[in-house]
Amino acid sequence: MKNKIILQEIANSISRWLMGDGPEADIVLSCRVRLARNLKDFVFPPYAQPFGLKQSAENILNSIRKSNYFKDARIINISELSPVERRFFLERHLISLEFTKNENYRFLVVGKGEMISIMINEEDHLRLQSIFSGLQLGEAWQLSDIVDDELEKSLDYAFSSKWGYLTACPTNTGTGMRASCMLHLPGLVATQRINEALKGISQLGLVARGLYGEGTKSQGNFFQISNQVTLGVSEEEIVNNVGKISREVVKEERKGREILFKRDGAKLKDSVGRAYGLLVNAYLISLEEAMDLLSKVRLGFSLNLLPEVRNIRVLNELLFLIAPVQIQIKEERGRSSFSRDELRAKIIRKKLRE
Amino acid sequence: MICQICGKREATFHFKEMINGEVREIHLCEVCAKEKGWDKSFFIPDFSLSNLIASLTDIEISFPISETETVRCPICGLSYKDIKERGKIGCGSCYQTFEKYLTPLLERIQGKIYHSGKIPHKGEVKKEISKRIYELRKELKEAIKKEEYERAAEIRDEIHKLEKKDEKQDNSSRDS
Repeated sequence: MKNKIILQEIANSISRWLMGDGPEADIVLSCRVRLARNLKDFVFPPYAQPFGLKQSAENILNSIRKSNYFKDARIINISELSPVERRFFLERHLISLEFTKNENYRFLVVGKGEMISIMINEEDHLRLQSIFSGLQLGEAWQLSDIVDDELEKSLDYAFSSKWGYLTACPTNTGTGMRASCMLHLPGLVATQRINEALKGISQLGLVARGLYGEGTKSQGNFFQISNQVTLGVSEEEIVNNVGKISREVVKEERKGREILFKRDGAKLKDSVGRAYGLLVNAYLISLEEAMDLLSKVRLGFSLNLLPEVRNIRVLNELLFLIAPVQIQIKEERGRSSFSRDELRAKIIRKKLRE
Repeated sequence: MICQICGKREATFHFKEMINGEVREIHLCEVCAKEKGWDKSFFIPDFSLSNLIASLTDIEISFPISETETVRCPICGLSYKDIKERGKIGCGSCYQTFEKYLTPLLERIQGKIYHSGKIPHKGEVKKEISKRIYELRKELKEAIKKEEYERAAEIRDEIHKLEKKDEKQDNSSRDS
């Protein structure tokens, strides 16, 4: 029951990082730093017995309760949730696809504004993440670093001076850090330079993924790029590298947008205006269509072609509010006779006319 | 486990391939794997899970098979074979127990084998040793860059000494 109340509370609040007030926020939707940590002398979650998982969860939760950074935090027992409810947190970017699987003693801790959160007993005992609006990877790292320091006061991490933080998967060993940026790249897609850009990114040792991280496809021209190597490089080097490459991609995206505008300004304006018209007036809309139109409207807003849209925040919020489970949870679809596509169209109309 | 092709010999090559979220397992003996050319270069060179498993399998060739099954981690009880099959390490202690297998694996995945990032603040003596090692590794990098190889060799010896000390500390803190 308590879980359900928290779920509704979160469904009715807005993630702080969707405000769109960070640098380059019209292209960089968000940036994220994730740290993987394990407890010393505890078997890692993939092999742990329920008793071990219970103990590691208790230790970590105790440490979190002592922390100043989690004073107003919500603690959710993920293992007690239905698959649909778990999916809600995935869509919200608070948990991974792996964490939606049914396993014992899995907890999610969400700090105020969803800027900082922790998954307990994912593949590693502790996964700490912080998300910021725009290109602020340095800030995201600083916040995770401080919170990590504080938790470490009452937790013994598995660490070796040779290999750094010891993780269940050797792809995370060392810093245990994944730094990523979520980029909106309609300009590179429309000018057909996206594959070239993604290839360049992979040659520089970074990876590109879809909107919801590992194992997901790209939607609405959003791409997540992140570091691959975690060992033998410092956290600062990772942050600088991902930040530098993201900035390059942003530059290329701006060039792409300029080309689009110069090539045929009327056509671009027409496409943006039509997309907005459809969104404001539709009564039935699928997720795919909505994402496609929102991507165009977001591009139009960034190029000052849509005075009707007040701020980027409205568009950022919509990107997440229209996801299937967000609609289901927020609108309590079970009780109404409306179809999901109908509810989605209603949410969009309302939000854009606010 | 018996080879899936010949159905006679013991399978020593184990592959997992993920296609659209579905995991497919392949178990082959050495002879059949070689015949199919699957003993190496079967997987595209990326950092996917299948590549990781393939790396583990490659490394196994140079180690006696029985050892990967009989030697077990004192904390979690896993053998290297267990780890290899699942693609996940069992606990912090596994890193020490299976160091000789994990070193080449990590080098292949990460390109490097020494941590040069954050160090936990806890454990005062340990912290000092770790910090010193960290500093020395930085110096080592610099020395190599400047082609001061004699100096680099000295630093490397110093690092080895400190690492031994650090290991002792690891063991004593576990005993306590």
